Amino acid sequence: MLKKPTDPAWAWSPYEPDAQRPWNLRWAGHLYRRAAFGADWSQLQQALSDGPQRTVDRLLRPTADADAFNRTCDEHENLAGGSMDGLRAWWLRRMIETPHPLLEKMTLFWHGYFPANAAVVNNPRLMQQHIQLLRSHALGSFSSLLHAIVRDPAMLIGLGGEANRKAGPNENFVRPLIEVFTLGPGQFTEDDVRSAAKAFTGWFVLRGQLRYLPREHDDTVKRLLGREGDFAAENIVSILLEQPATARMVVRRLYRWLISETEEPEDALIAPLVESFAASYSVGQLVETMLRSNVFFSELAYRQKIKGPVEYAVGMAKSLESVVSTTHLAQDLAHLGQDLCHPPTVKGWPGGRSWINAATVVGRHNLSSKLLQGSEPYGDKFDPWAVARRHGCTTPESAAAFLLRLFLQDDVEERQKAALLKDTVAADPKAAMGRFAQTMTTQPEFHLA
Amino acid sequence: MSFTRRDFLRATLGAPAFLSLGRTALSQSRRDTVLVVIQLTGGNDGLNTVVPYGDDEYARNRTTLRLPTGELHKIDSLLAFHPRMEAFLRLYKEGRLSIVQGVGYARTDGDHDRAMRVWHTADPDPSRRPTGWLGRVADHLLSIAPMDTGAVFVGPIARPFALNAEHAVVPSLRSAQDLILRTQQQEQPSYQADDALLQFLRQSCQDACVKSNRLQSVVESGSGVGGYPPFGLAGDLRTIAQLIRADLGIRVFFAELGGGGIGGFDNHANQLGNHCAVLHQLAESVAAFIEDLQRDGTLDRVLLMTFSEFGRTVRENGRRGTDHGAAAPLFLAGGRVKGGFVGTHPSLNDLDHGALKVHIDFRRVYATVLDQWLGLDSRTILGGRFEPLDVLQT
Repeated sequence: MLKKPTDPAWAWSPYEPDAQRPWNLRWAGHLYRRAAFGADWSQLQQALSDGPQRTVDRLLRPTADADAFNRTCDEHENLAGGSMDGLRAWWLRRMIETPHPLLEKMTLFWHGYFPANAAVVNNPRLMQQHIQLLRSHALGSFSSLLHAIVRDPAMLIGLGGEANRKAGPNENFVRPLIEVFTLGPGQFTEDDVRSAAKAFTGWFVLRGQLRYLPREHDDTVKRLLGREGDFAAENIVSILLEQPATARMVVRRLYRWLISETEEPEDALIAPLVESFAASYSVGQLVETMLRSNVFFSELAYRQKIKGPVEYAVGMAKSLESVVSTTHLAQDLAHLGQDLCHPPTVKGWPGGRSWINAATVVGRHNLSSKLLQGSEPYGDKFDPWAVARRHGCTTPESAAAFLLRLFLQDDVEERQKAALLKDTVAADPKAAMGRFAQTMTTQPEFHLA
Repeated sequence: MSFTRRDFLRATLGAPAFLSLGRTALSQSRRDTVLVVIQLTGGNDGLNTVVPYGDDEYARNRTTLRLPTGELHKIDSLLAFHPRMEAFLRLYKEGRLSIVQGVGYARTDGDHDRAMRVWHTADPDPSRRPTGWLGRVADHLLSIAPMDTGAVFVGPIARPFALNAEHAVVPSLRSAQDLILRTQQQEQPSYQADDALLQFLRQSCQDACVKSNRLQSVVESGSGVGGYPPFGLAGDLRTIAQLIRADLGIRVFFAELGGGGIGGFDNHANQLGNHCAVLHQLAESVAAFIEDLQRDGTLDRVLLMTFSEFGRTVRENGRRGTDHGAAAPLFLAGGRVKGGFVGTHPSLNDLDHGALKVHIDFRRVYATVLDQWLGLDSRTILGGRFEPLDVLQT
């Protein structure tokens, strides 16, 4: 497949449709898969008439009152009474119904970036605060987020950093802070880790509350990355934020999340983003640059990412304009390898090809079958025939063609399309379109984001 | 009845589908060794499992929990199986069962979660290990065979940490149905895609379909339907036997006994009856599994091992129970174990905080199954070198 040359100036300029890269359904679907959890038919149509840049505007700054929506969801979460099942279910529901899906998409990104595992934290309230913290900074300042993360009880407990005694500085938290969240491997020494651990002494999580015990703080001089002083925890964070490696880490992780999992970008390609991100640490700006860019709307990005289980299932719900029981869904997604609030290691979900193996493919396809066949526990909430009729289809043939555009934007090889559409005539269109939607969602292309 | 892989392919695939899979299908026809691990949750009382009835200290320390000598299944003049573990004596006599004595790790502190985490991570300092030892195996297998599911958990409880992996998705299954497609798929495109990632997805979808069909034929053939007792563990092992026969490329299976609710192996009071029940379930379930696989020769590529987070105190605690101990025996069963004992029984006089001393570091057992059975490098997976035991036929 022809890839565009990777000239940074071209890559990060805003995409302007032309004869060679016209704005069409294919790119509208691509944008909504990456910047949201997929789109319903009206959103795709709106995007077609708005063009790419106005659609990005809408994704970044929705007109509906997202704050009010999120406040309502927060209240429901509170009422769910600190249960992990409730928290997972409400988060999935929020992803499906939110007027600001990019915010949830980025909250999920940070959940993998700063992974606190509820099984270790063992306190649903703290997990709830943790996810809220990620959401409140999801498109804000990375600097503020990092400063907040080192004070977040769930994060500290999750990484085994809830007790930082003077007598035995604890490296459990500071090592991933330096190696995974900021600088990356090879950018620091063991002495840097030891010094950072000393700087964090005095901080404890006691009965779910963050506490600072001055007598437990080691106030000797510490050395970190060539700097020297009686550093406290926030000084360590500030020093880490001064390193270009930190900005590069975030840009690389976000490139993988929004643009491509298949190819690591060259340093030269991302250099302009790293430079501007290091100056502002504005996540919103970084996301905006990426989403508007030529490289985002190029073959370097198109279908170069595999949907995680959450994207797979929430995408179906978006397309079919309905909500199913997210309590059950959260559990089914856990079996597919993405248990919300339980990221497997400090590196989050590895993503990419690791999502897919014989067991998870069968699992995804069986989930699609359960969702579309009207059986328990999901019932018949998903009704592709009704959706197609709502959008003007009157026959099974036209509905099938519609569903092919809705789920795959018609972007499959011609011979495959012919095979898919060959027998759609049916006595019971509702059942037939359920089966057809299932065929759509089990196509190899549907697993690609 | 004898199954071969070729029979399955003949039975479940038309020739065109088979040809279109080409190299992928052929490369999967290695009939690899598999490991089945059974976790006994709660801390199993090794002294009342493999009973040192010939040692007077046993009777002295176990005033109410002492098992009647006449009912034991004697192995030699010192040791015998628990009265409800007759099936294990049978396996032992047939050379299908090895008993590794005095296994554990130094400085057990008696906390269930911590001890379990040590066994799961294969690290005495588990807080520094984000993955389980079998999760690391799954990660390694993923790098060799990206479309296979290297490891699975089979059972009704949450997946144990031993299977926590950094890269691999390790599924939890309740039955073979979880790996069988509910609805027959419309034919997927079999032609080559230009794009590498799309091609990977196409092959994965086809591969999943082929494996689903193969498993379906095993299930429909009635594999292992009879012969398994009505215990949860037996059902899980029956599922595992089906998955092994279907040759799905799964190398590691994990099942569990005792942690799903009340009871289990943690018996601080009134131990006798409950312990009888779980040991009986263990012995009968494992024996049914071994005998099922033996019928068609599958057993030669299967090794089963048990473990528990710790043993229990030698002296009973005044409430007809025992408290958390240290060393305990561990069982290995399969077609290619040497049989008999490995190591000597720990002394009942030379104790550490009332518990038997550890003779064999548990990681030596892990190293044995990794190096000599799964053919993986134990040093990479365990983060150090541990001397393997002489327990497997070469």
